[in-house]
Amino acid sequence: MMSVWSWLESSAFSNWLKESPSLLAYPMVLFLHGVGLVCSAGPSAVISLRLLGVGRQLPVAPLDRYFPFIWIGFWISAASGFVMVAVDAATKLANPLFGVKMAFVAASVVLMVLVRRRVRAAGAGAREASAGRWLALASLVCWAGAIAAGRFMAFL
Amino acid sequence: MQLWWFVPFWKTLHVLGIALLMGVVLAVDLRIFGVAKGLPGRPLQRLMPWAAGGFAVSLVSGAVLVRANPQQYFGAPLNLVFYAKILCLVLIGLNDVLYFATGLKRDVDGVVAGQAASASAKIVASVSLALWFSAIYLGITLPFFGVTP
Repeated sequence: MMSVWSWLESSAFSNWLKESPSLLAYPMVLFLHGVGLVCSAGPSAVISLRLLGVGRQLPVAPLDRYFPFIWIGFWISAASGFVMVAVDAATKLANPLFGVKMAFVAASVVLMVLVRRRVRAAGAGAREASAGRWLALASLVCWAGAIAAGRFMAFL
Repeated sequence: MQLWWFVPFWKTLHVLGIALLMGVVLAVDLRIFGVAKGLPGRPLQRLMPWAAGGFAVSLVSGAVLVRANPQQYFGAPLNLVFYAKILCLVLIGLNDVLYFATGLKRDVDGVVAGQAASASAKIVASVSLALWFSAIYLGITLPFFGVTP
């Protein structure tokens, strides 16, 4: 397993990505990670806020249509994140916050699926049951945790 | 002397503010483009204060970061990138003023479930997204502009 990571890290692609001064190299991967983040965590947060009771007049069920977009954002972040780990595997994998971040991301993904179920099942104007509110709150906390862990990772 | 957590703490707040703000911006702009057509315009746009709140968090945290390490933002050639980012934010402000002042915001408030938004609203929404993602691009890549081969 470790040898796969070290092979990835020492590949020609990794060297190019790390050494190239081109804005299409590492900066572009970082930008894609940010774009994916705002496209997934952003609309997710809006949906969570709605389930928590913000903007009661807004019907819940149509929010379901935002999820394909949220998933595209998630996969953009996941792919660019994988590239950033692959080119710097030894350092990144050894960072204690890396596991914390992955745990938050995994929890966010599970919560995304569960929240979507609540959204689909929502009736017009119905008040969200407390189970849905806890899921929404957990989703907000996990996305925020993933973002915080990601930011702090660079400084450890 | 800065504590080790000072920069990542304020950067975390900066990103959290942007995520909240962009969540509302994307929800409204995508609805204008025709995604989630079942959502009526008025209650969706009532979420706009949350975007303003997210922006305030980003603005304050951004100001703290620039004040703490001005050389990271104002040294050539970074300063051009930094000013370009601020210019994007100013243009976003003007785009928003246009959206409210021309009555477009009120038109979108009147858009009911299943109804399409006007072409003018779609133009303003496109400009909004293009400028926001430009600002994000400039913010994220800013440190790399100073890199010389």
